[in-house]
Amino acid sequence: MIPASPDLKETQNPDGGWGYRRGSGSWTEPTCYALLALAAEGRFASDEVRRGIKWLEVRQRADGGWAPRDGVDESTWVTALLLLLPADLVQRVNADHAVSWLLSQTGRESGFVQRLRSRLLGVQVDASQALEGWPWFPGAAAWVTPTALTTLALQKLNRRTANRDIGERIAEGQAFLLSRRCKDGGWNHGSTKALGYDSDSYPETTGIALLALHDVRNKATATAEDLAQKQLATCGSLEGACWLTLALSARDRVLNADLASIKTQHPSTTEVALSALTRAAIAGHNLFLE
Amino acid sequence: MIKHLTRRQWIAGAAGSFALSGCASRATKFAPVSIHRMAAYSESLYDLLRQVIAEHRLDVRGKRVVLKPNLVEFDEKAVINTNPKFVHAALEAFRAAGAAEVRIAEGPGHRRVTLDLADSAGYFSTIRQFEDLFTDLNLDDITRVLFRRPQSKLNSIYLPNTALGCDLLVSLPKMKTHHWAGATLSMKNLFGVVPGGVYGWPKNVLHWAGIDETIADLHRVFPRVFSIVDGIVGMEGNGPIQGSEIASGVVVAGADAVAVDATCCRVMRLDPLRVGYLRLSASVRQLGEEMIPQTGERIESVARRFALLPELESLRLG
Repeated sequence: MIPASPDLKETQNPDGGWGYRRGSGSWTEPTCYALLALAAEGRFASDEVRRGIKWLEVRQRADGGWAPRDGVDESTWVTALLLLLPADLVQRVNADHAVSWLLSQTGRESGFVQRLRSRLLGVQVDASQALEGWPWFPGAAAWVTPTALTTLALQKLNRRTANRDIGERIAEGQAFLLSRRCKDGGWNHGSTKALGYDSDSYPETTGIALLALHDVRNKATATAEDLAQKQLATCGSLEGACWLTLALSARDRVLNADLASIKTQHPSTTEVALSALTRAAIAGHNLFLE
Repeated sequence: MIKHLTRRQWIAGAAGSFALSGCASRATKFAPVSIHRMAAYSESLYDLLRQVIAEHRLDVRGKRVVLKPNLVEFDEKAVINTNPKFVHAALEAFRAAGAAEVRIAEGPGHRRVTLDLADSAGYFSTIRQFEDLFTDLNLDDITRVLFRRPQSKLNSIYLPNTALGCDLLVSLPKMKTHHWAGATLSMKNLFGVVPGGVYGWPKNVLHWAGIDETIADLHRVFPRVFSIVDGIVGMEGNGPIQGSEIASGVVVAGADAVAVDATCCRVMRLDPLRVGYLRLSASVRQLGEEMIPQTGERIESVARRFALLPELESLRLG
């Protein structure tokens, strides 16, 4: 069971965007999730969708990407979220330019300069460091969540129009994710070891990564599915439970959690939107994969 | 919005610190650092933190105070976070001292689900109406602040308005070793104010810009931080997440984060002169033990030898 969500229309800001919480300034991420959720509910022609889309359209930056919010002078990972929106909703967005920006981004550790530096310094680098994932912020290392969400966005584009460059980055992104599994088979933020000590996975990142690997079936993903089911059974986080459910429903796994039992005093926009998206996915309509 | 701290603002900030701390000789000396024994998170902790505010002559009447604990990850087997009872005792103490508003604010660096993390860590069960008192600094409204003569590779940084706009920011770190910085105390705790909503989870931009250097830069942006270190149970070894607990039994406090952290290092048997961010923030002379006025217990009487990873043994005191 998924709890009924408050109407996203009530939490939309006067400028058309959404904040992470009711009353806070508009950010790109919750605005994208709110619009995805409204689309999942079939509210394409509503006034709130029109205003939300307009908020996003006018904020595409000259380099093709989006900043996390007004006042930040840098395009970041949130650019991927725009490309997860249904194409007919974002017709005035320059998607090609956004894709070019995303394809130009990679984790700093996998770049030529950093690899050369490591070699010259004689630093032993794990082979997975060469795999190109995506950073949260340009110039930083690649991490699990931005890599998973960008992989999902590029997969969506590639389903519409197959492109070899995009296909190669999707494969690389998935390889990156597979290389960053924790010892328990799931994912945390992307650091599987700290000075040689194993780190544990988190429910939300396990769900996001597994969703981005929805079309991969191997021993590693089977282990991750088992873990995700265990995490879902005990998960106390609505956001975590939603991502796990989204991933497991895409793999036709039996869902063993009652999300309605998870307490949230003041649900965030992301939690409200993910709940709606999860309800739609259980009903056979997973917007991340369509 | 870009905030460039001018010379006049720096002076105003220093003056604010001067007024809040009641320190009469800030220009030449650090404000006093107090050390108290506290063996457990017992009810007497509430009295102790009231005493700390009084002995440091913090006048917070009518002020907006923000408490910044260290809330990183949750593992029931590890003492990663500032103990929730410690945070609650600070909350009650600042309320009792007449603060107009006391909020708790943090921006964890690894996990995005901050409230779930806080719930797991016991903050909801210990602090009544925690959710109403809490601001997730990762998702707060922000202002861009330019660094003047930065130590790090960053020229500016986006920071949350809740931390920038309060009258007094109180750093409530856990006393822990840190596998990169040596020790994570009051100054390193300010990494938690950097917004993940802009920089991500983790805030990896800070690592590439230089950890020690960014700690030093952040310290210059927040000169008015008052520090109360939860050293009742600390973490040694592979901190800040995977280390072991150590019954260090102290609470260390003061209005100068550099002095507080240098003192904590000595309590942990680390040499503050070998901790990078302290050296970037003060001279060798300033960091000398004799240059830091101290009240309460003597360092030698409470010192505990925190275990260090072999890579960090060079930081050992003595």
